[in-house]
Amino acid sequence: MRLRHVLLLAALSLSACGGRPAAGGADDLAQADQVNDPLEGTNRFLYRVNDGLDTYVLRPVAVGYRNVVPGAVRRPIRNVLNNLSSPVVFANDVLQGKPRRAGDTMMRFLINSTAGGAGLFDVATDWGYPRHGTDLGVTLALWGVGDGPFLFLPVLGPSNVRDAGGFAGDTAFNPLTYATFGGSTAVNVGRFVIGAIDARERLIEPIDDVKRTALDPYATFRSAYGQNRRSTIEDTRNDRRATVPAWFNR
Amino acid sequence: MLTRRTTLLLGAASLIALVAPRRAWAQDTTGFIVNLGNQLAAIVNSGGGYDDKKRRLAPLIEEAVDVDGIAQFCLGIYWRRATPAQQTEFRRLFHAVLLNNIGGKLGQFQGVTFRPTTTSQREGDSVVGTVIQRPNQQPNNVQWVVSTASDRPKIVDVQAEGVSLRLTQRNDYSAFLTRNNNNVDALLSAMRQQAGA
Repeated sequence: MRLRHVLLLAALSLSACGGRPAAGGADDLAQADQVNDPLEGTNRFLYRVNDGLDTYVLRPVAVGYRNVVPGAVRRPIRNVLNNLSSPVVFANDVLQGKPRRAGDTMMRFLINSTAGGAGLFDVATDWGYPRHGTDLGVTLALWGVGDGPFLFLPVLGPSNVRDAGGFAGDTAFNPLTYATFGGSTAVNVGRFVIGAIDARERLIEPIDDVKRTALDPYATFRSAYGQNRRSTIEDTRNDRRATVPAWFNR
Repeated sequence: MLTRRTTLLLGAASLIALVAPRRAWAQDTTGFIVNLGNQLAAIVNSGGGYDDKKRRLAPLIEEAVDVDGIAQFCLGIYWRRATPAQQTEFRRLFHAVLLNNIGGKLGQFQGVTFRPTTTSQREGDSVVGTVIQRPNQQPNNVQWVVSTASDRPKIVDVQAEGVSLRLTQRNDYSAFLTRNNNNVDALLSAMRQQAGA
């Protein structure tokens, strides 16, 4: 297991060294900087596959979910999913060396699993422990691993080599991945499927907007994904709140 | 003793001199964004139809947004390669497409609330942070980059969850142009379709 980890890390850091296209002026460089996509041909093919899948299956299901399940029910479902992801978020907070964020995640898990009715209600936010998400991709980035080439994955959408590896690592690390409920994997499959529907429901408008307004939706998703990840990584890096919570200083 | 007091006084005076104008611009640009948000909300929540709302939206955007500057930014390296006629046509189409794109989103703004958070300065521009809350959705962080270079503030970029709209647009155009032999006329004809003109 440890060897595999090391190999994965080595592969990731190698891929992070991938070259950039040659560029002329400073402006060219700035634009080329945004794009590290040597697999563009394959990615565009996968984008079209995913687009078909999305148009005929994923989006209609997400729209149906929004229309049939009222917001008052969707929100607790999302809270439960968020709560179940807490152990993985916590592990990454620790690996990132962010004790305050780790503390927030642990308190949220303890509070919401009990006072929040098994995670149905997010009372921890009101108690001063706001939610943040994070993943192994962010952790690896903070350890100095570069993005690596851009990838477009069916169902999962835009990614890159580092973040896709991170997703695999997070899944492998999550104890729930290995939990069987009476020998059945139905609960896990359900968790993944509902998680995907919930995520797609939140993205109905943004994705519709891009498809409606972009001349090259693929390039637009690629650009937006890269910017969003860079911003998430920098926000995490710059979260240097003291470990002592605010109420202690009063 | 006297010198120390003088130094302290001087220090305090220079601090005030530094802080006072900063407060002023922070209030100005934050007020500008809040005011704009309220005007937008008034249009969204008014009873008129789509065309009516779009007609009222146009002067608001032209007033508050540096559309020409954003247009030039979005064409990137191709701006210099374009002929003056192409530049003029690109600018005209960009105005129309932007209005269409924002107009098409008006329905999504229903029931949206927003509050300003922090205002800071970045590379000569003011950045007004807001938290936007849509019904039954998680809140989004949106930053408004406002240029105060001219006598009245103008929005030069909007960044939603770290995604710069003008940079994303520029990458969209450059990807399109790369796949169309760097032909600016191809871009213009695609934009003409988007503008519906």
